[in-house]
Amino acid sequence: MLSADVEVDRRDFAVRAALSVAAGERVALFGPSGAGKTTVLESIAGLVLPRRGLVELGGRVLTSAGGPRPVAVPPYQRRIGLLRQDPGLFPHLPVRANLLYARSSSGAEVEAIARQLGIDGLLSAMPARLSGGQQHRVALGRLLLAHCDALLLDEPFASLDAALRRALTALVKDLSSERTVPSVLVTHQLPDAQAFADRLFVMDQGSVLQEGAPDEVVLRPASRRVAELVGYLGFVPVAPPGASGARGTSGADGSDDDPAGTVVAGGVVAGVHPDRVVPGADPSRGLVVTGTVEAARPSGASWEADLRAGDAAFTCRLPSCPESAQVSVTLLAPPYFAPDGSRISNSHALT
Amino acid sequence: MIRDAEDRRPGPPLPRRGGFGRQAPRVRSVSAFLSVAGAAVIWIALLGPVITLLTHLSGSAIASALTGPGDLDPLITSLAAGGVTLAVLLCLCTPLSWMLARGRLPLPRLWEAGLLCSLLLPPLVIGLLLVFMVGPYTPIGEFLGWLHQDATNTFLALVIAEVYESAPYYVLGAQAAFASVDTRLEQQAGLLGDPPRRVFRRITLPLAAPGLAMALAVAWARAMGAFGAVVIIAYHPFGIPLQIFVTLQETGLASALPYALVLLVVALPLPMAAYVWSARAERRRRG
Repeated sequence: MLSADVEVDRRDFAVRAALSVAAGERVALFGPSGAGKTTVLESIAGLVLPRRGLVELGGRVLTSAGGPRPVAVPPYQRRIGLLRQDPGLFPHLPVRANLLYARSSSGAEVEAIARQLGIDGLLSAMPARLSGGQQHRVALGRLLLAHCDALLLDEPFASLDAALRRALTALVKDLSSERTVPSVLVTHQLPDAQAFADRLFVMDQGSVLQEGAPDEVVLRPASRRVAELVGYLGFVPVAPPGASGARGTSGADGSDDDPAGTVVAGGVVAGVHPDRVVPGADPSRGLVVTGTVEAARPSGASWEADLRAGDAAFTCRLPSCPESAQVSVTLLAPPYFAPDGSRISNSHALT
Repeated sequence: MIRDAEDRRPGPPLPRRGGFGRQAPRVRSVSAFLSVAGAAVIWIALLGPVITLLTHLSGSAIASALTGPGDLDPLITSLAAGGVTLAVLLCLCTPLSWMLARGRLPLPRLWEAGLLCSLLLPPLVIGLLLVFMVGPYTPIGEFLGWLHQDATNTFLALVIAEVYESAPYYVLGAQAAFASVDTRLEQQAGLLGDPPRRVFRRITLPLAAPGLAMALAVAWARAMGAFGAVVIIAYHPFGIPLQIFVTLQETGLASALPYALVLLVVALPLPMAAYVWSARAERRRRG
């Protein structure tokens, strides 16, 4: 079990985060660049000392700061592996020597891991001759052979193409489960976080805004800011029945987040996630919005359209190019936010 | 096991950027030709003194200058003093360079400015100031006298003068060599279980070694050719530069030339070896 509750001072703001990761569990810290995700990771690894906080791994106190008996176990005694975007292979050592750097493995184990990672033909090559993906595999192998008690991943595959990133993320996921070590991934790519983690922490400006299962965080963001971070591309005001624009309707899935035909308090908005929109007005499935098409462009196998409904602008993905200037779309079980940005449910804020 | 589109073999050899055996770029235009010609003229002009030295020397002149009794004493003195100087630089200045490169010293600009001062002072002035600093009637000189040592006109004085003339070159070169080592590699080695000293031995030192070798080679060349400070504080025992000066004054230009060749022969191999070794290390890293 890895647990960290740290508060680190930075020049711009203080980073505060509390997380606990069970053995074999995978969590992801997701947020925009500069949110403080890497600072949390570095404080766990011992590269940054927090102003206040406690870091424990397998019952061992690694950092205890701000209390009467400060503890700061140096990084080389922590047994924590850190994989960064730069694989950090030692350029003067061939692949085999890089893999064996921690001196805690036998030659047979090196061969086995190299086979598993698909780098068994590269053991005598120098790092400069490897491709980006190969370098990351060697770096990963080096961590595995060091028999770390926890795995920290700081956007390790961000510079690789999508297919390779998926393959390596799946590999790390399998290996961390197989070895039952707690793993923490830092990323600003939501799909990467969702593909890897059992639990997601959304961070912004040094604070954890929401913690939960990856799909839970996306479908029920705790606040408008979280919604923006997880990909909601617009917010439409929800008006009382009979008024123009969007109006609340019955949700198809019976979610407690739906206004269920009730009149909504003024200033409430519904979040529009571009992937949770279906063309046409279908009040039985969610919130119907009619808007003017401002722009449309192909996006993968579908179309991305910028719509305007009154003062609100939002973007959604449609299966085909909109044919008229006015289109109606249905937002599937959208989250609703109060004027202060907090998410509202049936229990409050709706009258 | 994973399989993807990537080739599991290492990539083709990278194009070489330096060292021997690289391919010469093609000269495709008049401006390119003029650039190459201009570079060649500058190169030959810089090598001019060496070429002149080789064309003005005969085997008999070298033999007669270097085969008399005691003729090789200046060479031995220079080599011994140069060797001790290098040892002093390695032991005392390497840690200083590392601390400067890693920002481990308070007021780093002040330290660097101090080094630049000693770099910018003319060697002759250094010699004068050293007399006032370590001469027999100074506190340091008296302390050395208490140890039965003397820092003027002795082997110790020669080493002190050479250290002062060459140290800034070594420190600044070594600082650059250490600064070129990515600290994230050191962090990674630490996370893999190496304490700082082992990280220095296994990562920092091997990666900085080519730059350190070049800095040491430059310092060696400076020490072997040290004259300005030496002529003031260490007139005796003669090293090769002083031998050249004295021979020039006493018997003329022609008699001094063989010693110039000796200076070149003993001063050049270490920088050349350092260059070749650095180039090889770079090639080895590039696979």
